[in-house]
Amino acid sequence: MNEDEEQALATHGQELRRGTVVFASLVACRQPQYGYSLLTTLTEAGIATEANTLYPLLRRLEKQGLLSAEWNTEQARPRKYYSVTTSGAEVAAALHSQWLELNTSITKLWKEGTP
Amino acid sequence: MSTLTTIYVDNVVGHLPEDSRGDIAAEIKATIDDMIEDRLGGLDHPADEQTAAAEREVLEELGDPAQLSREYTNSPQHLIGPKSYPVFIWAIRWVLPLVAVAAAVTNSIAFIATNDEVQIGALIGQLVGNTVIALLTAFATITILFALGDRDMSAGAADKIAGAKKGWSVDQLRATDAKAKQIRAESVLNLVFIVLLALLPLVPTSLFYVGHLNNDEPFINPELGFGWFLGYWGFLALMAIVEVVKLVRSSAKTAVVLTGAILDVAMAVFLTIALLTQQVLHPDLTSPSGAEVQQIITVIAIWAIVIWDQISTWRAHRANR
Repeated sequence: MNEDEEQALATHGQELRRGTVVFASLVACRQPQYGYSLLTTLTEAGIATEANTLYPLLRRLEKQGLLSAEWNTEQARPRKYYSVTTSGAEVAAALHSQWLELNTSITKLWKEGTP
Repeated sequence: MSTLTTIYVDNVVGHLPEDSRGDIAAEIKATIDDMIEDRLGGLDHPADEQTAAAEREVLEELGDPAQLSREYTNSPQHLIGPKSYPVFIWAIRWVLPLVAVAAAVTNSIAFIATNDEVQIGALIGQLVGNTVIALLTAFATITILFALGDRDMSAGAADKIAGAKKGWSVDQLRATDAKAKQIRAESVLNLVFIVLLALLPLVPTSLFYVGHLNNDEPFINPELGFGWFLGYWGFLALMAIVEVVKLVRSSAKTAVVLTGAILDVAMAVFLTIALLTQQVLHPDLTSPSGAEVQQIITVIAIWAIVIWDQISTWRAHRANR
């Protein structure tokens, strides 16, 4: 792969991943997660996410009513825990269906195009 | 919290709305602490140097605080957005040339009317200086208005401007044909100009706050023969007919564009002859020594408009074919 192809791959790969972070965050927040634990969970699941992208995103999802947030001050360090709301769970389920459909479509296309 | 982390957090929340600062600051701080702890790998008593190094790494991983702050605000990072940009460019292309000509003509008239001895250097200096200021002001005003509109625009309004409507059908193609729309918009604009030009010989100077210069009489010399007025209005009537044809047909075929172009040039020749053979502007609006210079400047302005109009008309025609 030459330099131009690598650059194109990096750009398109980033665009592909960007859309999945919202979906992955909603799925992961079915269990309450604080920011860093979510970041670690996503990274360990193979969905590389940058902290400076994730935190503002969590706040936007909270504003959209897809996540609820609550400060836990009982531990040594106060942490803000995010959980998926009923509405967020419905959106996550719908996104999951779309994801599976896309996966099927891409797999079919890939097979048809493979010589 | 170390000084570095404090500065970092302050930089992130400094430009955020006040009611969200405390919450975001606490969350970023908790995250930084978590990330440092993770890097230190559960050491019970890390050395100060180890903690400081881990902190540096974490802050560098989080990146530029200004960038993080922008991510939180989620506000547009551009002045004119892609949806408003075509209309913005269209407005600039139309307004700036008109402002330039209007500024040049009004400044030359004002300069000559208020100076007994017209120095050509001083005239050009004032003309250029004031025209540049007028152009910059017009550009800044348009840009600010569009930038404000861009930020105030709801998603629905933006989609409407972009033509993204629900329930679209092929039947709407003619109505939304961008070329036809542009031709209609230009025709309406040209008709407005033609009406304004037709009224020019009748408009009293008091409408422009310079009525004291010639006792509220028009800008044009009342002694001018009536035939010149008839010729002037005749040309404007023919030009209006061409624009009406373009407006009704929503198209500009080469023959129509060519007719319009010939009429424009003929009108410019007519005005040039009128200006160079007699006193066209009201005598009270000019000094005896400056009258000739004023007429020549008006002729130059007329030809500048005609040349600009010809170039833009033929370029637009070529692009629309």
